Amino acid sequence: MLSFTLRKLLTVAGTMLGIAVLTFVITNIAPGDPARLVAGPNATEDMVETIRSEYGLDRPIVEQFVIYMKDLMTGDFGTSIVSTRPVLDELLRYAPATIELVLVAMLLGIVVGVPLGMLSAVYKDGPIDHVTRILSISGVALPAFWFGILMQLYFSVELGWLPVSGRLPLVARPPDMVTGSLLIDSLISGNFKTFNSALSYIILPAIVLSFPCLASILRVNRAEMIEVLQSDYIVAARAHGISSRRIVAIYALKNALLPTLAMIGLRFGWMLGSTVLVETVFDWPGIGLYAVSSALASDFKPVIGVTLLIGFLFIIANTLVDLAYAWIDPRLRRA
Amino acid sequence: MSDTLLDIDGYSLDIATFDGPLHVLKDINLTVRRGDTLGIVGESGSGKTVLVRSVMGIGPKNSDVKAGTITFDGQDITRLSDKGWAKIRGVRISMIFQDPMTYLNPLFSIGRQISDVIAAHERAAGEGVSPKSARRHRTEELLDQVGLPNPADLFDQYPHQLSGGMRQRVLIAMALAGKPDLLIADEPTTALDVTVQAQVLDLIKSLVKKLNLTVVMISHDIGAIATIASRCAVMYKGEIVEQGETNDILGNPQHDYTRQLLAAVPDIEAKPARLMAAEAASEAPSKPTKLLEGMNLRKVYKTRAGGEFTAVNDISLAVNTGEIFGVVGESGSGKSTLARMLLRLVDPTAGDIIFEGQNISGIAGEPLRKIRQHMQFVFQNPHSALNGRHTIGDAIGEPLRIQRTMNRRDINARTEALLDIVQLPRNFKYRYPHELSGGQKQRVCIARAIALNPRLLILDEPTSALDISVQAQVLDFLQEVRKELNLTYVFISHDLAVIRQICDRTIVMKRGDIVEQGDTEQIFLHPAEDYTKALIESGRVTSRAANMRA
Amino acid sequence: MSNTEHPSAPPMTFAERHASQIRQVRLYAHMFRGSFSSMLGLALVIAFLFLAAFGPWIVPYPEDTLGAVHMGSRLLPPSAEHWFGTDEMGADIFSRVIVGARTSLWIGIVITGLGALVGVPLGIIAGYKGGWVRACIMRVTELFLAVPGLALALAIVASLGPGLTNCMVALAIVWWPGYVRLVEAKTLAVKEELFVESARSIGARTPWILWHHILPNCLSPIIVKMSMDMGMAILAAAGLGFIGLGAPPPAPEWGAMVSVARSYMPDWWWYSFFPGAAIFLTVLGFNLLGDGLRDILDPRSHTR
Repeated sequence: MLSFTLRKLLTVAGTMLGIAVLTFVITNIAPGDPARLVAGPNATEDMVETIRSEYGLDRPIVEQFVIYMKDLMTGDFGTSIVSTRPVLDELLRYAPATIELVLVAMLLGIVVGVPLGMLSAVYKDGPIDHVTRILSISGVALPAFWFGILMQLYFSVELGWLPVSGRLPLVARPPDMVTGSLLIDSLISGNFKTFNSALSYIILPAIVLSFPCLASILRVNRAEMIEVLQSDYIVAARAHGISSRRIVAIYALKNALLPTLAMIGLRFGWMLGSTVLVETVFDWPGIGLYAVSSALASDFKPVIGVTLLIGFLFIIANTLVDLAYAWIDPRLRRA
Repeated sequence: MSDTLLDIDGYSLDIATFDGPLHVLKDINLTVRRGDTLGIVGESGSGKTVLVRSVMGIGPKNSDVKAGTITFDGQDITRLSDKGWAKIRGVRISMIFQDPMTYLNPLFSIGRQISDVIAAHERAAGEGVSPKSARRHRTEELLDQVGLPNPADLFDQYPHQLSGGMRQRVLIAMALAGKPDLLIADEPTTALDVTVQAQVLDLIKSLVKKLNLTVVMISHDIGAIATIASRCAVMYKGEIVEQGETNDILGNPQHDYTRQLLAAVPDIEAKPARLMAAEAASEAPSKPTKLLEGMNLRKVYKTRAGGEFTAVNDISLAVNTGEIFGVVGESGSGKSTLARMLLRLVDPTAGDIIFEGQNISGIAGEPLRKIRQHMQFVFQNPHSALNGRHTIGDAIGEPLRIQRTMNRRDINARTEALLDIVQLPRNFKYRYPHELSGGQKQRVCIARAIALNPRLLILDEPTSALDISVQAQVLDFLQEVRKELNLTYVFISHDLAVIRQICDRTIVMKRGDIVEQGDTEQIFLHPAEDYTKALIESGRVTSRAANMRA
Repeated sequence: MSNTEHPSAPPMTFAERHASQIRQVRLYAHMFRGSFSSMLGLALVIAFLFLAAFGPWIVPYPEDTLGAVHMGSRLLPPSAEHWFGTDEMGADIFSRVIVGARTSLWIGIVITGLGALVGVPLGIIAGYKGGWVRACIMRVTELFLAVPGLALALAIVASLGPGLTNCMVALAIVWWPGYVRLVEAKTLAVKEELFVESARSIGARTPWILWHHILPNCLSPIIVKMSMDMGMAILAAAGLGFIGLGAPPPAPEWGAMVSVARSYMPDWWWYSFFPGAAIFLTVLGFNLLGDGLRDILDPRSHTR
């Protein structure tokens, strides 16, 4: 078990290193002069030169790479041009909002997706199956930004039930920061009013973000359940008189859960990527919105910072999925 | 003890397919009384599995009962609701399945799976579920009953940690958990090694006696049926062609199909025809020349856990020109690895292979490609040895296209000639593998192998995936081809009766080593090793059963 | 050798020789027709392809798609004259949405095509060769898959600068690893089949085996994935367009149209509704089609 954990840690470190290399390559693929791009169209030659030396762009590429890696090791992600603040500070400021949003969306996807997938597998080709099939296929096809706008139009503008965008009303006082999640922090400090208001703000973006995820979890779970329910060992369990409910809820579900877990890991990463769209629509102050506004302002360091952070979070999620796999499947345990 | 337990009366069943309904079962009439042991014999596609699964209400989807009824203990169970089945399935009728690997859930421990079955039965009986410790105790009792050592340790183990024979015992324990009135066994030994088969059959036999079970067992193995069943029925193409006392049917078969079936089982006791012919000719055999030699061959695989697994351990052998060289062993004995090494399909870890005086163990690329036309392989499973996306014509023509510079018309002509040789119609070249039967596919594989006029053919269990009657035809045919084309065979098999009939010299393999080698007849008449004796003994069971008629 | 000359049978007709293929096609058609969602997908895709092919010639206001300005008819609601209403420049949204189909088709083909063109050969080689070749290819592939696609594409576009072409380049860069992983896994499975070993035993060279044995048996999942990916690539590109990194405003690109329209919410709802609906229906069509194809071609593998 120890060597297993150690190997996992090494993989995480290796992949992070790889992503760092990848981001460095991306920074340097642009055919144009990065210094000129940063300086903007109206800059003089002098200004471009100053930026060039300031960013170390006049040095050989290998040296630039070494400096880049050294900076990353010491937690130096560079400085944002727009805000002139260190990227790391801003990432730490924006990350909790995104993580909170993604986790709530993930929870929603699992809690709704897995049981629905199970139901539609058990009642295959029945009315529930048809409804979930439409739900799941359209869920994957829905453009998140457009769906978000429609939700805003209906629930916020038309019905007035939920706030249009943001994370908290301007007048509300945020709770003391403990975990960074407004929902948890407000509960800890016993501030239920803030909790309710934070909840009302997070519902729409979480639904929009989780919808495609829910859809694919549902689909995988359904397909796996159908396959498992036809497998020999389920036939045997039926022949040995185990009740149908028990077979579905305990035996088959556990077997079907493995591929579903893989999908959950995959979708977690997908969600992190999609935050750039959903946070834009809902003005959610997270890293996605930060990346978009920086990209539009040609402010490059923050974009790379967000890419690294998202990559890191995704790796953590995948590692957790691997551990869960080993926990469920005894065949993987002895390794 | 003479009251009827199971009565199948005029039962007919269709399965709907795209090409129309398939009449899988036709007018089946069977009666099983309490204490009976009934065997159902039939080859693949005879409908025997569908029949017993219908008795348990787990028949195939899209099936449609056309006529007849199944009555169990006075209750009509032909079309029972799920609720009705809950009181019967697994409680009063229980089943042992064919392949113990796929029928155990890989994610749950052995003990958990069995004690869940016990709980289910208690629930069905309305007794209320007994506490965990009591169920654990009962589970360990069951495991002990089926002859598994250390039941207490076994309780927490998972299926992948057990051997095939142990898994089958676990499945038997599961089937016995509810003290069923009727036990159905669906080819309970087919997926096991021959020596393990005998043990499992003995176990079932002793349990039948001890627990006074009523058993319906289906099998294609006449020996297994003869061991267990006092009565038996023969199924062919969805019909029961014959039924009665097992001894009567085997000793005095009435139906043509039964006779053919029994005749197709090779007789392990018979003196091989080839020896009699050789004696009659009384020709002094010419001095043998070595065609293929393996010297100190070794193959070591790395396991995923980082360890090493020796599949073949320092084996040397020599195959003479014109002979049939037998390799016998159970699964895992390394015989397939050895065969693949001889053809350089698997690279040996150590050792040399010499073909016609040329050391081929080190060559690669073009020379290896060239040498391959002289030595060919016929695979065990013809169903997967042919690419499903190529026509039969493509498959047979492929070696010609690869190794020869022939134009399309010549290849076509040669393909048709090869189809003639393997006695298949010429228009088969437009067909696809899935349209052919197993025996036909194996003929195509043989045509493919002889397309380049090789000198050596390595046959890796060429008949074990085929039904017995087809097996006999393919064996005869292989002999003919050998005579016509002057081939040398290396023949790999686990079936000793076949080996005795056709092989001149034989090696017996166990766990990567040769345990015995020499003249085939000598090995059969005077086996030196216990392992060889056990193999021969297990072959005798079937052979004897099939040859009861004088 | 037995020289039993068969009596020369009458030559077979085409239908007789290919009876099994004909039956197979009929079976596929039968299964496909039996599924409502597959047929719906096919209908949506055909409609989309039709609009992409003939859009510029059938729209009521062709000049509006090129950035014409009609200040007199700004932001009109849907009517008989303007089915989908007009935008802030007074251009007919219906015309712009239809012409946008062509851009989307182009995006989908380029991204999916490049992805498959790069990914499939790499996947087959990685799966068949094994050893360090496989290790190298799969490491790089996993690296690309370790960062969520949209996030990576955003970084690449940010580096290349905004624009439709750069968006397509960025998405193609993040798209190929999916094919490598799919094809590698499939190749690993097919490689173990006896017919591959059989081909080796008759002396076939590696390229022959890859082309004649491995690739044909990997084709079904590739076709299914490509159909699905046409939709997903269009969706991803629309996302980048929505952020504002795609085609610059006058170009009739659906994502960019929704992006501009967002500032005219909620009063002028039709402006964002129709382009978004076009994206949705197109992606839905390709997804349903892919799903239907999977059901008939590749019934056992279903995980995306």
